[in-house]
Amino acid sequence: MPVASSDLQSLRQSISKIGRDGSLRAMDPAAKTTATGHQSIDQALGGGLARDALHEVSPQSPSDLAAATGFALGLIGRFAQERDWVWIGEEMTRHEGGRVYGPGLKNFGLDPVRLLLVAPRGAEDGLKAAEDALRCAALGAVLFEPWGHPKQLDLVALRRLALAAEESRVPLIILRHGGQNLPGSLRTRWRVAAAPSEGRETMGHPRFTLTLLLNRQKGARSASGIWTVEWSHGERLFRPADSVDHFSASIDRSIASSGSFHTYEKSA
Amino acid sequence: MIVALDRSALAAGLSKGMTLATARALCPSLEVAERDHVADRLLIEQIASWMERYTPCVGLIETEDKTPEGVALDITGAAHLLGGEDALLHDCLTRLRAQGFDATTAIAGTLECAAAFARFKDEAIIIPRNTEPDAAASLPIAALGLPSSEVIALARLGLKTIDDLASRPRAPLAARFGRDLLARLDAVRGVIETPITPRRFIPTFITERRFAEPIGHEDDIHRTILTLSADLARLLEKQGQGGRRFELGFFRADGAMRRLGIETARPLRDPKIIMRLFRDRLNALADPLDPGFGFDVIRLSVPMAEALDAYEPDFDGRMDLAEDLAALIEKLGVRLHPSRVMRLHAEDTHIPERAMRYLPAQDGNAALATEWDLWSDADLPPLRPIRLLDPPEPVEVIAEVPDGPPIRFRWRRVFHVVVKAEGPERLAPEWWRMTGQALPPTRDYYRVENEQGARFWLFRGGLYERETNDPRWFVHGLFG
Repeated sequence: MPVASSDLQSLRQSISKIGRDGSLRAMDPAAKTTATGHQSIDQALGGGLARDALHEVSPQSPSDLAAATGFALGLIGRFAQERDWVWIGEEMTRHEGGRVYGPGLKNFGLDPVRLLLVAPRGAEDGLKAAEDALRCAALGAVLFEPWGHPKQLDLVALRRLALAAEESRVPLIILRHGGQNLPGSLRTRWRVAAAPSEGRETMGHPRFTLTLLLNRQKGARSASGIWTVEWSHGERLFRPADSVDHFSASIDRSIASSGSFHTYEKSA
Repeated sequence: MIVALDRSALAAGLSKGMTLATARALCPSLEVAERDHVADRLLIEQIASWMERYTPCVGLIETEDKTPEGVALDITGAAHLLGGEDALLHDCLTRLRAQGFDATTAIAGTLECAAAFARFKDEAIIIPRNTEPDAAASLPIAALGLPSSEVIALARLGLKTIDDLASRPRAPLAARFGRDLLARLDAVRGVIETPITPRRFIPTFITERRFAEPIGHEDDIHRTILTLSADLARLLEKQGQGGRRFELGFFRADGAMRRLGIETARPLRDPKIIMRLFRDRLNALADPLDPGFGFDVIRLSVPMAEALDAYEPDFDGRMDLAEDLAALIEKLGVRLHPSRVMRLHAEDTHIPERAMRYLPAQDGNAALATEWDLWSDADLPPLRPIRLLDPPEPVEVIAEVPDGPPIRFRWRRVFHVVVKAEGPERLAPEWWRMTGQALPPTRDYYRVENEQGARFWLFRGGLYERETNDPRWFVHGLFG
């Protein structure tokens, strides 16, 4: 069917218009940035998180590892959309922090079918696997979880990873278990702590307190920042934690439970 | 008792089955070594692997009690590659002697016939086709490989050679010694044929290079792999097939043999990709390929192949995303190990640690999205953790009542004050899957949140007062 070039032109224009508020740009894997959905964060980042770069996510304290994982997975959900993504977790991280759990991923809004899980023995294998993965443009994102602070993860190694990400536009999130900050080629660095969820008696959506420690994004508005955000996996975006109030505590949470249903609040 | 001896010992008048004391008396300077079954088998297996240089169909000749005593080769169609049976036999003997082995060899129309000659004639013999009955006539009865009691029984009847036996009427022999005797007799006389049981699956597609001057240089080896891959690609293409498993065999001139295998996620025949995968495999080897004095045969084979239609690139000549991904899975599989590159599979059970399995991604992405429909992705706060501790870790818990939710708990030396708790979600053991075992205790799961907002998945093992009076607590998972 022949298409008039004017039609095509107008279609292009309307597409570029939608793109400006960030909603559609997040869906486009060819775009250079992906919006988090949280306006203030996206502004600070200059539109969204860079796809062609490295981002470091670490927990504030050891008990915040799961929160840091949650934030990283939220970013993956934004980045990868319907594409496959890779989680490279060194063997020790599985023993210490627990292994990735499919039903929980699904509850978190990520389709377990899309995950390719890689379990290297140590940091050296992990780094090589991360580089291989970053060179595969078919992927939506790569999550690399090294154990501790391996000496192999030095300036040179990070530079190599950054170059690979730049070329393929596959973002790499390095999920730390603590340890010193990584040197060099990172675009952003985040510190994550768990934040109390909404609801006095029942648990609400997961919330995180994010500290942006390093911001080398293009068009960045501020070098750092602190936000408390909530992950909504239904909308697959981060939203400000204070502005959501529509979740009532009376929601029926007994769906998947086979037993009786209690709620309990500790009197403070 | 003596089980094996070399030429000089034979010449000194010793024989198999003699006691050591008798042997020592006959020949005081005798050197003896104790029999080591494991080492014997290993050595024969090693020789058998090396023998694959002549033909891929190599089997072991074993005695009644499964002790290997020799190697059998099916050289049908393979002999002419080395210039005929004569040349093959000569080549084999020369190489074995160079490695310090002494061997007796025979080529015949059937396995048993050749084995009998190798056992009882001390020279390299080639029995022409259809002359087996005559040739075998002079062999002793023992060549049939019968139990010694039967050999003695036959000897008492005056039957000492194959010919003696073959000239007797068959029916009385069968009646007295069983049909097995006649079957063996026929086999040794080359009348009926029993196939060699190959040690390894015989690949359909094989290419190989033989070198007059053994090669050992890395570049030479890589070049050889590439030309072999190209040859193989032509073979595969002719049949419309692609390999799922590839194997390289390196035969060293001094008798060592090394195998390297790769598996692929999809049928493959592009020589460049095969080459790249093998190069990665070679680089990732924990103990590098040792060429010694060089390899004189390198063989590339495909033990497993699948249909692969002619390759059609996209319009822009680029492979599509699925291909890219399959290539990545292969690459990681070769580098790490196929079992370390995984996909998640849902299992139909409510026992948390069994609700999911890791399967190698290479075995095709059999994971179906519907398998996971058991678990909700509605926009509700998660009911299951994103990280599961395996095994669950015991925690100290303070609860108001023994069957109530926790108030405080200590995990990994950190105290957590519970602010919110949801539960219990009671997960009973699946008694219908456990027969004859003691049932593990029922678990009551709680989702709890501490003062900081960190969330945990705790359970109490055992129903209070019904299953136990002192229920133990565990943390099983962490919520994101």
